[in-house]
Amino acid sequence: MTAAMLYAFAALTRPSPAPSTVPGANIFTSAFILSIGIWAPVLMAFVIGVLPNPRGRYDTLIKQIAFFTNLIVLFILFVAYNQFQNFLPTLQYEENRQWLPAIGAAYHLGVDGPGILMLMLSALVGIISVLASTGIRTRVRSYFALLLLAQSCVTGAIAAHDLFVLVLFWSAATVPLALLILGWGGPRRDAAAWRLVGYWGAGTVALVLAVAGIYVATGGTSFDMEVVLKAPLGARAEVIIGLALVIAAATRLPLFPLHGWVRDVYSDAPIGVVVVVASSASRLGAYVLLRVLVAGEPDGAKLLAPLIAGLAAITVVYAAIAALRSSDIRHAAANLALVPCGVTALGLAALTPLSIAGSVLSLFAGGMASALVVSVFATLSDRAQTRNAMVLTGLAARMPKLAWLTVLAGLGVLGVPLMASFTANEMTFFGAFRTQPVGAFAVAAGLALTAIAVAVLIQRVLFGPPNPDAPAVSDSSLSETWFLGLMAGALLWVGIVPGGPKIPGTDTPLFDPGVVNQMVANIPEIASPYSGTATP
Amino acid sequence: MTKYLVLLPEALVVAGAVVVLLLARFGPSRYRRWRRALPAVAALILLAALAVELRVGADVGSYFGGGLLVDRFGLFVKAAVLLAAAVGIAVADWGAEDSVSIGLAMPMLAVFGVMVVASGGDFLSVWAGLELAGAAGVVMLATRRPDSALRLLLLGAAASALMLIGLAYVYATAGSADLGAVHAALLGVAPTLPLAVPVLVLLGALIYRASLAPLQLGAGHGLAAPSPMSIGLVAGLGAAAAVVAAVKVSVAVGAVSVAFSPYVEIVAAVAMAGGGAGALAARSPRTRIAFLVAGQTGWVIAGLATQFRGGIGATIFLLGALVVAATAAPAAAGAAGISELAVSGLGTLRPARAAALTLAMLSLAGAPPLAGFFGEFTIGAALARTGHLELLAVGLLGSLLSLVAAIGTVRVLYLQNPPDEGRRGLVALPVWTRLSAFGAIALCVVIAGYGLFANPISSLADQGAAALGLR
Repeated sequence: MTAAMLYAFAALTRPSPAPSTVPGANIFTSAFILSIGIWAPVLMAFVIGVLPNPRGRYDTLIKQIAFFTNLIVLFILFVAYNQFQNFLPTLQYEENRQWLPAIGAAYHLGVDGPGILMLMLSALVGIISVLASTGIRTRVRSYFALLLLAQSCVTGAIAAHDLFVLVLFWSAATVPLALLILGWGGPRRDAAAWRLVGYWGAGTVALVLAVAGIYVATGGTSFDMEVVLKAPLGARAEVIIGLALVIAAATRLPLFPLHGWVRDVYSDAPIGVVVVVASSASRLGAYVLLRVLVAGEPDGAKLLAPLIAGLAAITVVYAAIAALRSSDIRHAAANLALVPCGVTALGLAALTPLSIAGSVLSLFAGGMASALVVSVFATLSDRAQTRNAMVLTGLAARMPKLAWLTVLAGLGVLGVPLMASFTANEMTFFGAFRTQPVGAFAVAAGLALTAIAVAVLIQRVLFGPPNPDAPAVSDSSLSETWFLGLMAGALLWVGIVPGGPKIPGTDTPLFDPGVVNQMVANIPEIASPYSGTATP
Repeated sequence: MTKYLVLLPEALVVAGAVVVLLLARFGPSRYRRWRRALPAVAALILLAALAVELRVGADVGSYFGGGLLVDRFGLFVKAAVLLAAAVGIAVADWGAEDSVSIGLAMPMLAVFGVMVVASGGDFLSVWAGLELAGAAGVVMLATRRPDSALRLLLLGAAASALMLIGLAYVYATAGSADLGAVHAALLGVAPTLPLAVPVLVLLGALIYRASLAPLQLGAGHGLAAPSPMSIGLVAGLGAAAAVVAAVKVSVAVGAVSVAFSPYVEIVAAVAMAGGGAGALAARSPRTRIAFLVAGQTGWVIAGLATQFRGGIGATIFLLGALVVAATAAPAAAGAAGISELAVSGLGTLRPARAAALTLAMLSLAGAPPLAGFFGEFTIGAALARTGHLELLAVGLLGSLLSLVAAIGTVRVLYLQNPPDEGRRGLVALPVWTRLSAFGAIALCVVIAGYGLFANPISSLADQGAAALGLR
């Protein structure tokens, strides 16, 4: 793992001067590769929406359409990931067309290293969420149409390189997700949905105000990130705009004290929706912080760094204590899912190349770990017919597959070796200890508390004495094992081979050029304004 | 000949309305057989007028001694109201209307009123067009709810009186009733109190009418509630006439904008936040639509406070989205719009109509990526450029409340099962016809396409602002 970290650091400091060729590279090129990723799910959502489905006759077909749509999108974006040229610090797969010329808004898409990593996360989550939703039996057509729309919005926000497009997709994600929770959620679905709309809506208001501030401060002629984020605004303006961005990010990621939606949503939303929210949709908060504040407003980022680090530390410590005190396993899992958010925020607060790279990797690893821990405990509570940790004890022998997955989820949240979150956490901490020592120490202490919470929860639920009075339990079904296994597998894959597998005896990547290699593109440029702050 | 050709769209609309009214009064008995086809014929007449307008309205000019202006502003507004009325008539549930002839003729006359306001070059034509649109709304309402019609009449009369007082004072100061001449005359005039007061009264009357007119309709409960088409007429076309008049007058007196901008900002803030809060508090889809319209009208009014080309262009752009959604949404809901129970499960029973209602309500709430979002965003950008960030914040808050309310109705439409016929009460489901299905699909296409193809539409709105004399 240390080797992986050193590998990533080497890639950061000395970007490869030549492209590494991957077998199959450049076999598929398209000027609209990002648009296909965004609009193909919308198109298929429309097809599903108008497909006649008398008495649920075509429920299976609808699920298959959703699955294969996501599979095709994943394939296309995997090709894009494979062909991504990590030695270039510029945007790739760029599309730029005028949209609202009167205000200078354009349909500008493009990705750099962090963007391609987020796109892979989003595409993978698309497949996983459909697999997690195979148990949906009512209003199947509406469910999968809304799920595809939600995924499309997340992908659009990731690919956006114009602040107008970013706001559009960022805010659009709220509507389908809220409807999914309202229609297919648990007993407290109303509270969950309205809290999600309230918090994310407040975050959207903050984001729009920040975008408006940037727009005005840069002359009010363009929303293009290439233009507005390169213009100097002055420290005062950057701090005000940065505060709005921190609020927007804290509602979405989330960070304490704007995390009020987490418990209800993670414990009462359908599992397929939880997967989307906990992994890719919520990571948009940190992604916006990286893309707009860290990359575009260096003075504001420097001045607000202690605040972000403080929020990160409080979030991790609060999450650990809340998980420790919770007797409802889904609430405990919801709190545990906050931990990777704190680590991601710490990396962005530290403002060093290594910590930023760790934070970017944490977008993927933390997103997967959060989604895994929430969905594994949701599945576990469904299979055990109760959420009460006092009733659920000694389940390991009766549900071995879920027991393994639960352990992996706990380890993923903690960031132990062999998990992708380990590499991300190590990079973040190594980068953060010099510039944000107090914050890093507090987050590390919070992780220690989290370890206690995870140990107590796993020991009680899985390895405690069996409770003869507990309801009957059953192990995970095939589809549940698949979707949980995919998340655990992704965490392990990136954790074990962060640089991607190589053809034996060569440095040529086998089929995956490696997450750590691809994500570093443009990070040195993002971190360049902070080079005087500290060098890890 | 060209001089008269520019009047062809107006002539088509008026002729259509008159023929429909005459047929109802003097038509032969065979007319009854054809009555069911009348909405389709009316929608086709409006679409034909739209096609002609797009052709002849593209040639800029001034006719009849400056009384009629053919410019991009007029073209945009006329195209928007013609499209809104055509879609509204197509999607309406004509089984829920009291009189097909009045239900068709009055919206057409209201469209004519807005067209007169849009192409009017002086105070007289602006005022006359506004009154015509208002009168059409009163007549339409009176067929079922004379009390509501009387309220609207009194409201309109009060606004009209205030407007006339303001117009008279501005005329006395500028020495002309011509909008261009007023604009030129006031350029060198200091915004003194004696001038500021009448301007305030004038714009206040227009805004009063624009933002409050929809709310007159929200309170109707039960079967005696106004017919869906009458709500669409007053909330969409009637309010559009007032807003168009307010845009023209505010630009003409823009030199003294310092006198009225703070007032406009307050009204806009109240309308945006109040509209959102009202929509959230309401349960009936129809009342929600009325509040959503009021909230989005607040955004349009906020655009008037900017007084520069980009801001007024954004106002015109949003006005186009507003008038389509506000006119067609109540018609799409039909009589079932009076209660949540009546529209429960509409997504299953009437999918096209439910989709149209959903998109219209979400657009009125400013949800992306629909027409209302694009309009509100452009106004937001203009507000930011002119330093009205506090107004932008209030507007965003109002939109958030509106969004929550709209999601609440969408949930009822799609996520609740249809009630038993016995529980539904006396409110019948909207009747499915080919025309209504076509109208619903057309409404969906317009609302979704307005944003996705915003580039030419927004550019036309910007040219409209330029045509008003803003550079």
